[in-house]
Amino acid sequence: MMHECSLPTINPQVVCREEFDGWAILFDPDSGKAFGINPVAVRIWKNLDGKTKKEDILQELKSSFSEVPENIESDFVDFVRDLVEKGFAGYEV
Amino acid sequence: MPAVMSTPRSMELEITGKCNLRCRYCSHFDSPGDVGIDLPAEEWLKFFEELNRCAVIRVCFSGGEPFCREDLRELIEGAVRNRMRYRILTNGTLISEEIAEFLASTKRCESIQVSIDGSSEEINDSFRGRGTFKKAMRGIEFLKSYGLPVTVRVTIHKKNLEDLENIAKLLLDDLQLPSFSTNSASYMGLCRTNPEEIQLTAKEQTRAMETLLILDKKYKDRIMAMAGPLAEAKIWSEMEESRCMNLPSKNYGGHLTGCGCVRRELAVRSDGIIVPCTILSHIELGRINRDDLRTIWRHHPALRSLRDRTNISLQDYEFCKGCAYIEYCTGSCPAMAYNLIGQVNHPSPDSCLRRFLEEGGRLPEIPS
Ligand code: SF4
Ligand code: SF4
Repeated sequence: MMHECSLPTINPQVVCREEFDGWAILFDPDSGKAFGINPVAVRIWKNLDGKTKKEDILQELKSSFSEVPENIESDFVDFVRDLVEKGFAGYEV
Repeated sequence: MPAVMSTPRSMELEITGKCNLRCRYCSHFDSPGDVGIDLPAEEWLKFFEELNRCAVIRVCFSGGEPFCREDLRELIEGAVRNRMRYRILTNGTLISEEIAEFLASTKRCESIQVSIDGSSEEINDSFRGRGTFKKAMRGIEFLKSYGLPVTVRVTIHKKNLEDLENIAKLLLDDLQLPSFSTNSASYMGLCRTNPEEIQLTAKEQTRAMETLLILDKKYKDRIMAMAGPLAEAKIWSEMEESRCMNLPSKNYGGHLTGCGCVRRELAVRSDGIIVPCTILSHIELGRINRDDLRTIWRHHPALRSLRDRTNISLQDYEFCKGCAYIEYCTGSCPAMAYNLIGQVNHPSPDSCLRRFLEEGGRLPEIPS
């Protein structure tokens, strides 16, 4: 479950490889698993630093990308949940 | 053509030029990569930090023989610390139980490729040296017992041509390896001294292709090949089929598009010189810890020129004039072309279907 008020931080072992046209792969060297993310997700990833707030990230996305979908907030929540489930991001205890 | 990545995804590192063996067809010794200098561990460890910053995700430790380095553990730990996974290319003869235990403990080993060229001591050792079969097999057993991802590379030559079935049985049935890969002894390094004793003639290559296609079917894709008879049997048969049926070209045929490596990876010689690939070691792009890797990757003129080979039409070559396969041919590996005729921007005569047929080779039937 995603915590209500805080965002997870990225797992520092995971490598974010920006390959072509702003797209990237997230690579977990321990498991060897990788998954591709689009430029919007790359921007989210870079902001999961334990300091930046969700509202600020959403605001940045809206101002930086011309075609941000209307349901960006729910996409954001899904993406972050997915990262946590894969072990690519987590909450500090 | 596929785009060029923003940084190399992987790097092959010749961490040593030393080897405990002298295989008769070794591509390292007596090649431009045989520079006789090994860098101290600190230099490699510092470079791994740059690889981390460049988001390189994999290194391949090769040589020479990587296990000749007594500080190999330190290097592997450095790669792990810098968020990378690793592969090792080895002759397998120096692998002890202790080494296997250490490799397993890192949990980052993607593959260890051991060279085995025969199903018996007699055949394997004929070109690799006395005692190598037993030692390499013992190395494989240690690696397997620690659950490491072992694979084998079989280099095909005159003396193991009739042993391929036994080799497949040994590796896939008896040792139960998931797969093995094949290539053939090429005109590089030490092989150039006595190529006629080592390399396959067109007729022998035909025989190798037939056998490997049957084994490929029997073992259902557990035999891999990026080059050599099995790869050529498949590529050339497809070219012939396309030509007969007048199909449109696939794989960007008709141009020098055979090498995609320069769009995703680089290599470093044992003296720290960055090169496009271990078999294009004469093209010096810079030095580790002195020149910026990202800048080399994006802007080095020699690298750009290698990537731009894809714009060169095979029609431009006298060598290809009038060839019926021109539309379907990619010219194959630039390093092989360089080794054979001293030119990188040329189709490789070694992978030329027309030449193979003119020399008495025949395309085998692909078993249905
Ligand atoms: S082929 Fe490999 S094992 Fe044989 S001499 Fe060369 S580096 Fe050593
Ligand atoms: S002559 Fe050889 S290299 Fe040239 S197009 Fe024909 S098959 Fe390819």
